[in-house]
Amino acid sequence: MKYTFIYIALILTISLNGQIALHKDTIRISEVVISGNRMSSEIPGYRKESLDSSVVTSYSHRTVAEVLSLKSGIFIKSYGMGGTATPAFRGTGAGHTQIAWNGININNPMLGQSDLSLFPVGMTDNIQIYFGGASMTLGSGGIGGTINLETKPDWKNETSATISPGIGSFGTYSGLVSLKTGNESFQTNTRAFYYSAENDFRYLNTVNSSDPAWETRVNNQVKNKGLMQELYYRWQKSVLSARIWYQSSDRNLPSSMLIQQQGTPERQSDESVRAMFSYNLDKSASVLYFTGAWLMNRLDYVNTLASIDSRNISNSLSFKAGAEKNILTASKLKLAISEELNEVNSNNYGGRIIRNTTALSASVESNLSDRLGTNILVREILDEDKFLIPDFSAGLQFRLLDAEEDILKANISRNSKIPTLNDLYWSPGGNPELKNEYAYIYELTYELRRKISSSINIKYSVSAFRNTIKDMVQWRPGAYSYWTAENIRNVSSMGVETSLSAKYKLNKFVSVLEASYSYTRAYDDGSDSEKNQLMYVPENIANASWQFIYKTLYTSWKLNFTGDRFITADNTKSLPAYLLNGISSGYKIKIKDSLIDLNLNIDNLFDVYYQSIAYFPLPGRTYSLKLLIQLNK
Amino acid sequence: MRKFFILVSVLILVLSCTKINDKPIDTYLSGSGVFILNEGNFRSGNGSLSYYSYDSAKIYNDLFLNINKRPLGDVPNSMVIFGDMAYIVVNNSGKIEVVNKNTLLAQSTIDDLISPRNMAIATNSKAYVTSIYSDSIAIINLNNNSISGYINLRRTSEAIVVSGSKAYISNWVGGNEIMVVNIATDKVTDSIQVGAEPESMVLDKNGMLWVLCNGGWMRTTPAEMNIINTGTNKVVKELVFPDKQASPSCLNIDRNGENMYYLDGGVRQLNISSSALPSSPLIAESERYFYKLGINPSNSDIFVTDAADYQKRGYVLQYRKDGTLLSTLTADIIPGLMCFK
Repeated sequence: MKYTFIYIALILTISLNGQIALHKDTIRISEVVISGNRMSSEIPGYRKESLDSSVVTSYSHRTVAEVLSLKSGIFIKSYGMGGTATPAFRGTGAGHTQIAWNGININNPMLGQSDLSLFPVGMTDNIQIYFGGASMTLGSGGIGGTINLETKPDWKNETSATISPGIGSFGTYSGLVSLKTGNESFQTNTRAFYYSAENDFRYLNTVNSSDPAWETRVNNQVKNKGLMQELYYRWQKSVLSARIWYQSSDRNLPSSMLIQQQGTPERQSDESVRAMFSYNLDKSASVLYFTGAWLMNRLDYVNTLASIDSRNISNSLSFKAGAEKNILTASKLKLAISEELNEVNSNNYGGRIIRNTTALSASVESNLSDRLGTNILVREILDEDKFLIPDFSAGLQFRLLDAEEDILKANISRNSKIPTLNDLYWSPGGNPELKNEYAYIYELTYELRRKISSSINIKYSVSAFRNTIKDMVQWRPGAYSYWTAENIRNVSSMGVETSLSAKYKLNKFVSVLEASYSYTRAYDDGSDSEKNQLMYVPENIANASWQFIYKTLYTSWKLNFTGDRFITADNTKSLPAYLLNGISSGYKIKIKDSLIDLNLNIDNLFDVYYQSIAYFPLPGRTYSLKLLIQLNK
Repeated sequence: MRKFFILVSVLILVLSCTKINDKPIDTYLSGSGVFILNEGNFRSGNGSLSYYSYDSAKIYNDLFLNINKRPLGDVPNSMVIFGDMAYIVVNNSGKIEVVNKNTLLAQSTIDDLISPRNMAIATNSKAYVTSIYSDSIAIINLNNNSISGYINLRRTSEAIVVSGSKAYISNWVGGNEIMVVNIATDKVTDSIQVGAEPESMVLDKNGMLWVLCNGGWMRTTPAEMNIINTGTNKVVKELVFPDKQASPSCLNIDRNGENMYYLDGGVRQLNISSSALPSSPLIAESERYFYKLGINPSNSDIFVTDAADYQKRGYVLQYRKDGTLLSTLTADIIPGLMCFK
């Protein structure tokens, strides 16, 4: 199912290839609208957005956490530079956002979540955000949504080498190199990434003694590196791909301002190897695909002050196979089976743990007319030896006016999330009897695209959602002196998300305005609940950016607003809202077949003092300079 | 004119009434009451100090922050009053805040402690501070509020009781020993083996040290009460808890040194002359989550904290020594150990 979309998208880009070859100036534009074919290339009724290649290129040295927090309406809870960053999508927890790599879930099976600060944007080609019910098309568990990191082939008959060094404030050095070559049948892409930072920024410690004092953040060093090799082979209607992705990260973790550290008491080392092999056969009336992946995650955490030496290795084997066939006149039947085998060796569990999960899904997607599309999906999960209550999702898409792009989408889903291995087997307190969590997701979206004039294009969307999550796992004190996990929590979240994008293009001048706002209410359900907003879930988030491109010069102004966040369950204490301004300017020039791009980026331009997690300071104005040299043949 | 005067006097009366209700906390702080240390969530930095005043019969929260304009720190664990000063041991901030016991104004901060837990006054100028992660206890010079040295116990420490010229320190986490330190020489002189995980201890009027051994969270060994003769440093009696699932904690004793109280599925009472453990609690736990216990030395009132779900504000319950509930007060997040004034 996932590959169908990619493959269709690839076909469409190939048909535009001729144009790209003639007009080689690379203009940064937001996603190009392909009208008419839209219904067939997207599952009707669901909302999906992409941070396309231009965003990926400009944020290539940054992490997925940073690009999502600056460019999407997803709130990222961050412990600071190099610290853990997890998504809180629509008020849900980090475990309710699935992170996928080309459709395969890569969340750490022990934690059931991913640290987005470990994923450099430069290792992806495209970042897709599946909102709420849309995540059902990829898998289960993405109650808030799924973020899919795509690495895909670019079937051009050319060789391209890229080297991109970067330097930034607080001792930051980074570098990205890639080599891509191939022809219409074969592609190889190699990329490597390095990032190291001292993160020794200055901040005002207002809480440790009666006089606020300027301090320098210590024990905050980060060293990340990664390597990815992709091979693609295409013949007739088949595509074979093999990918391997290695990442490693070493971080010293600083404490809050209230805790004075001696030496480096807390540090974490993460290492992952992800290998993926897939086959995709796309005949016009049917599609067949198969993906196998091996995912290895090693996480070692040491806290000398707390006498913690935690060593964890998880191995997962993941298979996904599916078939799609056109049936009746304008419908498609999709069947998919997925199988995930997890194995964990950890000194926090009683012994070696193995878990098997199988899921079978069937869906029918129909384009009942050129204005109406529907999708119905059913998924049955076999968790170990338990059959769960089936999940389902129903989506409807209606084009309001014939000639224009006004689309109304609605969907309702039941989405299950199986407990994480830590919830089940952590010693002490893990509960192997835990049931799965499940949620009902309701979503209504209106999208609009208009070409106002020959040079102005606008895109607007507004979406309302409601989630009710039941049997949520919560750790609480049990009968003994340690805490245990139980399915006792129920959470409701609801809100509105809206975004606008306006592009103006005239000759060599391009201007793009993007703005988004989301309102989220999330609270514990229960008969005696006071419906207090969950801690660290901001009610209001807004992002805006204004980009100008003129010939070889480009500049953009970025604004990010995060509203108040409560830091107590009874909502009596909160962290104040903050507005961050940033500017990114550069010079991009093409010399024959080469591309040179020099970029200066300033974050937190006005040196705002703010916190994402209480008492964890964040840096003020931050500079970074990046050079990209791309040689094409 | 008369009407005007009546109006003005009524106004003054009404306004002064509101002033009486809002009498500044300082008046009550200097009276008799109970300090409650709200631990807050580990690493969240939301620990705080509450005070229940007997004079106003009200609880006042967030006192350290309100008076000193800065947060107390991460996981304040215990508090000791000595002389004019009160010493607040803040476990995860690695410090002790020295404040005036009547105004709570911060006087100085003793930094660089490693996960300090409990403090005991050894002499007029010296105190010992136990540590849950370091192998040593810190020696505090009370004259200049600084760390003057360390005593290497070779194991972590939790509870500490001073008896004459000796200090008894329990090795709680994963341990089963009581270390004996000579206060004059700051040296370890003895170690006494007791049951698994000695969590709290009290000295009774006969100089016997009662040690409550929790049994360990693995529940493989039962909880025990060990009685040590401080003259000989030998265990003279053991009372084993019959229920292997019992996880007792917070042993306290009244000022007479005769009646002891501890938490075990409620508040239980044990007289020092008893030969057996109480079979039922004095105060049942029912729907609450009893966390810590304190006995008021002046009137033997029983104070129990209820940490509820460890996220929202917890409760402090005040009982008369016979078990009658007197008040239910709302404190802050995870109300813990208490300090009586």
